Amino acid sequence: MTGFLYPFLEAEERDQESLLRDLAASARAKAAESAALRASTLEANAGLVATAAAEMARRFAAGGRLFTFGNGGSSTDAATLAGLFAHPPIGAPLPAWSLTADQAILTALGNDVGFELVFARQLMARGDGKDIAIAMSTSGSSKDLTAAFREARKRGMYTVGFAGYDGGEFAASPDVDVCFVVRSQSVHRIQEAQALLGYQLWEGVQP
Amino acid sequence: MSTDPIGSTDVVATPTSVGTEAVSTMGLDQDLSADLAAASLVLARLFSAGATLWCIAPAWEPHAQHVAVEFVHPVIVGKKALPAVALTGPDLVATVRMSVRPGDVVLAVAAADQPDVRSVMRRAPAWGATTLWIGSGERPDAGSADHVLWLDDRDPRLPATGGFVLLYHLLWELTHVCFEHPGLLAPVTPECTDEVCITCSDEGRLGEVVGPGRARTATGIEDVATVLVDPVVPGDLLLIHAGLAITRLDEPGAR
Repeated sequence: MTGFLYPFLEAEERDQESLLRDLAASARAKAAESAALRASTLEANAGLVATAAAEMARRFAAGGRLFTFGNGGSSTDAATLAGLFAHPPIGAPLPAWSLTADQAILTALGNDVGFELVFARQLMARGDGKDIAIAMSTSGSSKDLTAAFREARKRGMYTVGFAGYDGGEFAASPDVDVCFVVRSQSVHRIQEAQALLGYQLWEGVQP
Repeated sequence: MSTDPIGSTDVVATPTSVGTEAVSTMGLDQDLSADLAAASLVLARLFSAGATLWCIAPAWEPHAQHVAVEFVHPVIVGKKALPAVALTGPDLVATVRMSVRPGDVVLAVAAADQPDVRSVMRRAPAWGATTLWIGSGERPDAGSADHVLWLDDRDPRLPATGGFVLLYHLLWELTHVCFEHPGLLAPVTPECTDEVCITCSDEGRLGEVVGPGRARTATGIEDVATVLVDPVVPGDLLLIHAGLAITRLDEPGAR
């Protein structure tokens, strides 16, 4: 009604409505892409999930423990995974920790021996041959993670890597027992599929 | 079609179904995508006006940290870094109260019955903060937050399946799309009410008691007469009309 007085206001409102419509359509398209990637990833990795879950269950039963780690957003996904094992909403807790939880240890190691060793040194101090190491990464090639796997291998730990793209160094590394690769070029979509794979791993470990 | 209005209660009873079916095929319906779009535009506008995004997730703290790192250190080179902070640890309500400034945003990833998040959401209008609430299962009461981004699946393991990660990734992606439309980022200013007599109007603003006769509101700390609602203690929520607290808004047992 005020259009003849303030035509620019109506133009702005039309622009806003069209932006909101575009945003909503984009969200649905990205969610569909994510769902398709999660489904194809689960399908492609079903056998590996079963293998890794069986070995993890065997180790937990024998007194083994789980250490998870990663960088940035992947470190939070690794922490969520450790939390799922340690404080499951359903089922019995299993011993699991995220190696990014203690900022004193992270900064002490980062400052004194270099960031590359922030996880390797923690595994050196805490890990033994019965334990499990899980690293979550999108590149699969972060130096601090490959160094941690090298240390984990040396100690006889079971090593599980999560990667994106083509799997990076994890995929070819003799230090990695099982490597889950989410075949995508998008960091976000990779992380979403990795979260579901991690959940599947936990579910597979349940009795 | 199931006649069960909830439909997913049986998911809890059959623990193997969540990851493979419910979550992996989870799409985004029209409503949720529209909620995400609206929340993203508001968030972009508030960031443009100088807001900080405060993230909380008491039961799944890594989600709060994941949201913060998305905004602070974008995965896509060239996208701007934005102020976002995860707040964790004990006494979360006090931590958020201390942190938030008028114009900021509080984002929670939490169930509808999480007591600290419920308390923060109720107080946020008195702190001048806009609220976003991401969660799953039973929904918060209508109006509990400015933007509710909700997955209706009631499986308690859903927070560990990547469903929330998808929602806040999309929130980040859409917010950055909004930055490509600077013409639409100007703050939406409410209609001017300078000429209206406050005493005769229906004005009722939320205030949080900070001391005797003093309350924090969206516009700052102000004097408030509490004769109608006394006794009050710091932390009590009041509805304030023309400098007078006319009623209390505390939930039973709330801080």
